[in-house]
Amino acid sequence: MLKTPSRKYRRSILFDLNKIVVYVSFIIFCIFVLLPIYWTLRSSLANVSDLHKTPLIYFPEVTFQNFQTLLDQVPFLDYTRNSIVFALGTTVLTLVVSFLAAYAFARIQFPGSGVLLWILVLSMALPEVGTIVPLYRLLSKANLLDSIRGLVLVLSSVLTPFTVWVLVSFIKQIPYEIEEAAIIDGASLPTILVRILLPITTPGLVTMGLINFINAWNNLLYPLSFSVTPSSKTLSVSITEVFAGYSPWGKPWELIMAVGITMMVPIIALILVSQRAIVRGLTGGAIK
Amino acid sequence: MADVMARSSASVVKRRSRLGIPSRFAMRRYVLFTLLVTPAFLLRLVTAAYPIIQTIRYSFTNFSLLKGTNEYVGLQNYVDITQNYGVKGALSFTILYVLASTVIELGVGLLIAQLLNANFRGRTFARTINLIPWAIPTIVAGYSFRWLLDDQFGLIPVWYQDLMGKNLIIFIDPILSRWAVILVHVWKDAPFMAVVFLAGMQGVPLDLYEAAKVDGASSWQRFRHITLPLIKPLVITMALFRIVWSLAGFDLVFGLTAGGPGVATSVLALQVFREGILFFKFGFASAISVILLLLVAFVGIVALVLFRRADVSY
Repeated sequence: MLKTPSRKYRRSILFDLNKIVVYVSFIIFCIFVLLPIYWTLRSSLANVSDLHKTPLIYFPEVTFQNFQTLLDQVPFLDYTRNSIVFALGTTVLTLVVSFLAAYAFARIQFPGSGVLLWILVLSMALPEVGTIVPLYRLLSKANLLDSIRGLVLVLSSVLTPFTVWVLVSFIKQIPYEIEEAAIIDGASLPTILVRILLPITTPGLVTMGLINFINAWNNLLYPLSFSVTPSSKTLSVSITEVFAGYSPWGKPWELIMAVGITMMVPIIALILVSQRAIVRGLTGGAIK
Repeated sequence: MADVMARSSASVVKRRSRLGIPSRFAMRRYVLFTLLVTPAFLLRLVTAAYPIIQTIRYSFTNFSLLKGTNEYVGLQNYVDITQNYGVKGALSFTILYVLASTVIELGVGLLIAQLLNANFRGRTFARTINLIPWAIPTIVAGYSFRWLLDDQFGLIPVWYQDLMGKNLIIFIDPILSRWAVILVHVWKDAPFMAVVFLAGMQGVPLDLYEAAKVDGASSWQRFRHITLPLIKPLVITMALFRIVWSLAGFDLVFGLTAGGPGVATSVLALQVFREGILFFKFGFASAISVILLLLVAFVGIVALVLFRRADVSY
């Protein structure tokens, strides 16, 4: 009789200790993740002079002057538009190409089709930087150097293998009976793909669309290598150009951080609304 | 066209093809398959397979746009690499940095996954912000950390100065710069690993933990003897994936240190970009790419061997 309360007591202390460990780790984790984000945001919204003072000013007066300067001094709107077109174009092309291939791999199997899928997926490992020299010549011959279309083409190719891989597992989960019924009713392939499969696969397509959009929006290597003029340069190139400049204060950090925030905000917004969908896609290929 | 798929059952196709006569349905299946996968394979052939083969060919030439040369020179570029201070440095730092950051990321990733798997208020918030480092552009992360670590007005060096009374000047010190590159890489990639590990942990049956609890296993013992063995294949897979991707990575170093001071933090991918796109030395750049390809291939072979073993033991 006496033992029970004391055991319960010890248990509750242990329980609380666990809770404390969890919450302390949670706080450390938040600082770990958010500190650079805070630093970028704070620097992008501050006056230049406030950034070059010690002791540091943690919450300087908010001003949008840096963004105004960017609009005045670099073709910032062009860069932003190019980033959007590049990311959306890449997303759409990758999804279309991958959806068709994934359907074939998921539904038509014959000796060797598995090997083909493996070849496609393994080609993911080819280092992109190892292809830029020949691609540079290829694009210039095809008159696609310094054009968004060229960038879309090469990046879609990079993103296709992973997208196919994830979509194959999505499509395989769909019972074949649904298509079978449609086939018996005399539906044609385009009808089956668009009317039946597309609606069922939408969650998978949305997920892979988000991941591909993020990848394309963030891509630096291709625009940096293949874009020459503001007609095809993206925000990721623009941040390297702003960094290359000098101001009386040294590096123009307030402007670099302003471009940085412009690139971060859409991505963080996407994550806030679609965390679950993105995680499903990231783990969809790896786990199974 | 699609009706072929319903009508031709697998057994029919197999029997026919064993006889060496593809049935009409089987033929139509092949045609359909080819039509559907052609765009994907065409893209990969033209913008991945062909360029890689070209790169290997260029690596045996002195192809240079500025000098206007393009002749077969045998292994000259590879001989030059062994004498090139920058490329040799980049090769050793690439290997060091990829291995070091992957090992640290596995540890940090597991810790974060443990946290995200625990039950506490704010868990959804934690899981959401966990995606931020993975999702934001690497080049932006590079510049943000460079500014965060600025010796005069960066948050970390200023705090260090307040605590230790000493200056912390990172980017002129080779060792500190190397650590900076490794740790920022950890910041960027560990949360991604955590996402995958978390999914693995959620697949572990809860009654295993319950049973261990009843037997009096501590939370460390439960992690060590239940969680870890069960997600071990996942950990190995992720490690190999990240190694392959990081080997070819370029954005982070480009933004954070640009390879400096000197060539202390230069990586192979950065050297390829410099020699190829900035100096138009296509032949030499291609030889560096081939070194990179060989590294990736080596990791791939290691992966195959490891997976064979894993297959035997499970």
